Amino acid sequence: MKLTSLLLPLALLGAAPSYAEHTSNWAVLVCTSRFWFNYRHLANVLSIYRTVKRLGIPDSQIILMLPDDMACNPRNAFPGTVYSNADRAVDLYGDNIEVDYRGYEVTVENFIRLLTDRVGEEMPRSKRLLTDDRSNILVYMTGHGGNEFLKFQDAEEIGAWDLADAFEQMWEKRRYHEILFMIDTCQANTMYSKLYSPNIIATGSSELDQSSYSHHADNDIGVAVIDRYTYYNLEFLESEVKDTSSKKTVGDLFDSYSYEKIHSHAGVRYDLFKGGADEARRRLVTDFFGNVQNVEVGTTTNSSFEEEMVKLSRTIAELHKRAEEQEAAERNATASASVNAGTEKRLQQQRKIQQVAKPLTDDNWWTKKIVGATALAGCAALWGWGRIWRVWYEELLRRTILHRRSVSISRLGSSRAHRCFAGHPRSNSDNPRPTTSHKQSSRVESWGG
Amino acid sequence: MSAQPLSSNDNDAPITPITPKEGAPASTRKLPPPEKPSDVRRRSHVILSFWLIVLILGLPIWWKTTTIYRADLPLQEMLEWADGKACRPVFPLRISIQATSLQDQEAQNLLRLTQHALDDLNDFAGHHLRLQLGDEKLDSADNGSALIIRLTPGEGTTATLDPYEPILDITYPPNTIPSPTASSSPLATYIASQLRTTFAEEQATISYLLSTNSMPSEHRPLGLSPETTESLAKRTTRSLKYAPTYHLTFSLFTSGPLPSSWNIEGAIDEYMKPVLEVLSPIHNFTIDTQVQLYASPGVQNQILNKEDLSSFINAAEWPLSPSIGGAPTINFIVFIGNQTIANPSQDSPTSQSWLIPQWGTVYLLSLPDDTTHVAAATLKQPLLTFTSHLLSLTGTPESGSLPLRLSTLARIRSADLLLRASSTLGSLARLAMALPSISIPSSVADGVTKTMSHLRLACDNLGGTEGLAHARIAEAEAERAFFEKSMVGQLYFPDEHKIAVYLPLLGPVAVPLVMGLINEIKAWRKRRRERAEKGAEKKEQ
Repeated sequence: MKLTSLLLPLALLGAAPSYAEHTSNWAVLVCTSRFWFNYRHLANVLSIYRTVKRLGIPDSQIILMLPDDMACNPRNAFPGTVYSNADRAVDLYGDNIEVDYRGYEVTVENFIRLLTDRVGEEMPRSKRLLTDDRSNILVYMTGHGGNEFLKFQDAEEIGAWDLADAFEQMWEKRRYHEILFMIDTCQANTMYSKLYSPNIIATGSSELDQSSYSHHADNDIGVAVIDRYTYYNLEFLESEVKDTSSKKTVGDLFDSYSYEKIHSHAGVRYDLFKGGADEARRRLVTDFFGNVQNVEVGTTTNSSFEEEMVKLSRTIAELHKRAEEQEAAERNATASASVNAGTEKRLQQQRKIQQVAKPLTDDNWWTKKIVGATALAGCAALWGWGRIWRVWYEELLRRTILHRRSVSISRLGSSRAHRCFAGHPRSNSDNPRPTTSHKQSSRVESWGG
Repeated sequence: MSAQPLSSNDNDAPITPITPKEGAPASTRKLPPPEKPSDVRRRSHVILSFWLIVLILGLPIWWKTTTIYRADLPLQEMLEWADGKACRPVFPLRISIQATSLQDQEAQNLLRLTQHALDDLNDFAGHHLRLQLGDEKLDSADNGSALIIRLTPGEGTTATLDPYEPILDITYPPNTIPSPTASSSPLATYIASQLRTTFAEEQATISYLLSTNSMPSEHRPLGLSPETTESLAKRTTRSLKYAPTYHLTFSLFTSGPLPSSWNIEGAIDEYMKPVLEVLSPIHNFTIDTQVQLYASPGVQNQILNKEDLSSFINAAEWPLSPSIGGAPTINFIVFIGNQTIANPSQDSPTSQSWLIPQWGTVYLLSLPDDTTHVAAATLKQPLLTFTSHLLSLTGTPESGSLPLRLSTLARIRSADLLLRASSTLGSLARLAMALPSISIPSSVADGVTKTMSHLRLACDNLGGTEGLAHARIAEAEAERAFFEKSMVGQLYFPDEHKIAVYLPLLGPVAVPLVMGLINEIKAWRKRRRERAEKGAEKKEQ
């Protein structure tokens, strides 16, 4: 007895965190580069998109960010298609693709807004990451990056700190259960170095000062079609994870990386994960790339109980309705006259309200007006004051000059005007600008950094 | 700039300065003409005005435009809510006893004894049953009691829950009425234990909720068996997050061209509407339906194993998330086909449906091949399954009569919302402290204030009907405050970035300004020294 009473709280403590089970899978797939020669980045993202879709994550739970449209690029020799392999076996664009953020919508701000769900009312649900504390999220990013940053669209960049803070905000609001963060860019491993929120497994394609290389080019398309890191990830996913019943673990996936294949040192970070490397490596690949739920098979086919319930609720609803009607009838009897008057008034009010033109956004409308008016008035005052001041100043100047003149007349002749300008003899031997010698890599491969 | 005049041109005669400097080297070098005092003054005015503009106009504008507005948040209070210190969730449930056949004295006595017995049984202070003597006329809705016990004399001691109203009918043999002096009575103990079993699930659920949230340990009830915890964990995993409105999508998928129509509206009216109506005080529902022909499932096997079921839904091709409006969707799918679910044990009949946690239900319906229209009667079984799954997806408790289950659901949901709003407040407070560069608009502070006042009201009315309404508002406000749209931006700027932004902008402006000021100060000091020397010379003379 004593033992059980001692054990019970222990069992509770043990039981509380062990229910760890996710109920939904989400994927955030981000490409961050534009332009034709970055074809491979879009192909990277689209091939991951295809994979997670193959493994059962519905489009409503995939957030796909594509800053450019390679399929419709005029330089595309195969219009309407995107391929990630020179054999051109699989058209990644296909006829069933849902891009959530496209073109100039792909910005750092939108990405952070997406992760933290700080979006306006107008944002449709399909463009939001509606995760909760039972959601596993795959975050895949690719583009051009550097030490602790990833460039977005040639115009801005996301820092490793921004990313870490965004994940922390998600953790604070219990917006994820576990995250697998993958990034394929130059010096990718620096991007996850600043993360500090729990339950994140992070992996990247290359170390600090290492480029991330492309795998091969398609001679007809004319550019590289996929990056090495993504290529070998896909190879593993295509060959080892054929469907959602696969039992391959994340550890198996990470073990498949090698320098010989990727040509850079892929990195993995386990320390944020509860239970450390062992626990993290034990997670199934389909925990992040697939959509596997623990379904409950219905137990009974005996419908009498359910029928009973429906009958019951019908009666209850009727009872409620009757009670309400009775109440309403009583209320009506006592106060029908006043109600009538009230509705009349309300109608009038509504009509009145409709007549007033309202600005679309009503926040601080008056404040803005006042600020504008003040600014205008200020400008006018400044101008007027300047006029007055100038007149006054000229007057003052005239007086002092007159005064000076009267004083200096006596001294005339003692000084001589001197108009010699002392300039510097400057040697015009400007150094020729040192031309930075660009090391052109002799590889056929293009590099991502 | 080295003040090396061009000069050493012998043609130009050296110009003697008007006021030769004391001890200056012989004027072999050419010097610029002296400045007029008015020019000197003007120059200092110019420099002064530049600096005044920079200091009076520039600096405040820069300060104003670059400071991040951070409204004051009551951080301490918010953290107290999150830690459960601000509110101790108690559920005082009032239970009326209607005993018309008893004398007032007897009834009072019975009530006292039952209350004693109840208090002895109860080990969780948060969930508290309080008995009171009720009037015959009042029903449960009016006096706010959770349950009415109707005592009637009868043959033996029996207890039955009224299926339509929250009423527990208890019959007792007349001789079991305790005498006024008795310190215990079998009838009182019986009533107490009946009450306890009636509310056992609610107690367990609420104590589980409290234990999974960050409540301080002294409020945390113990005594849940691991099995109970597990089943409760399973149930919370299954049920959706509370939302005031749910969107129900009924889909008919068929692998061929037939059937192409179904009488879903009639079926819903017949088999689901009543339940939706009784749920209406807690949730609103919107409904849409669709029929999809030639839909192939994700798994083609004739017999579906449990592993196959989770990939049965062809997420890539089935249009299942219409994303209409802002409400979360619950999916109910009828799939016409002759696939069957593998039967784990031979003795129970094969099941035709499975529930996907927080998502919905799939029902496999096999029909003759030439069926073109699915009648409402055929949909009866699927719809009844959906109805019972809907109840479990919304987190309705499983035991007790329906009215009791619903009122329990309202209480569980209000506790849940209260805890969630509190934890959101805590998140917001921690975030505000952790990220000093995030802006906090005043609307967030307003939201926090509103949240806390409603939380207070909800906390005070947890056992009552008001609780849910307040908790709902509090949760909505807390979410709005946390997800304030303007509280974003790139939060972190390294110092290198700041320098990189400011230097090209301010460097070229600042150099002449600073150099001018330094020169002017130097000149001013020189003039002062000269004047002082002159004064001294004059005195000597």
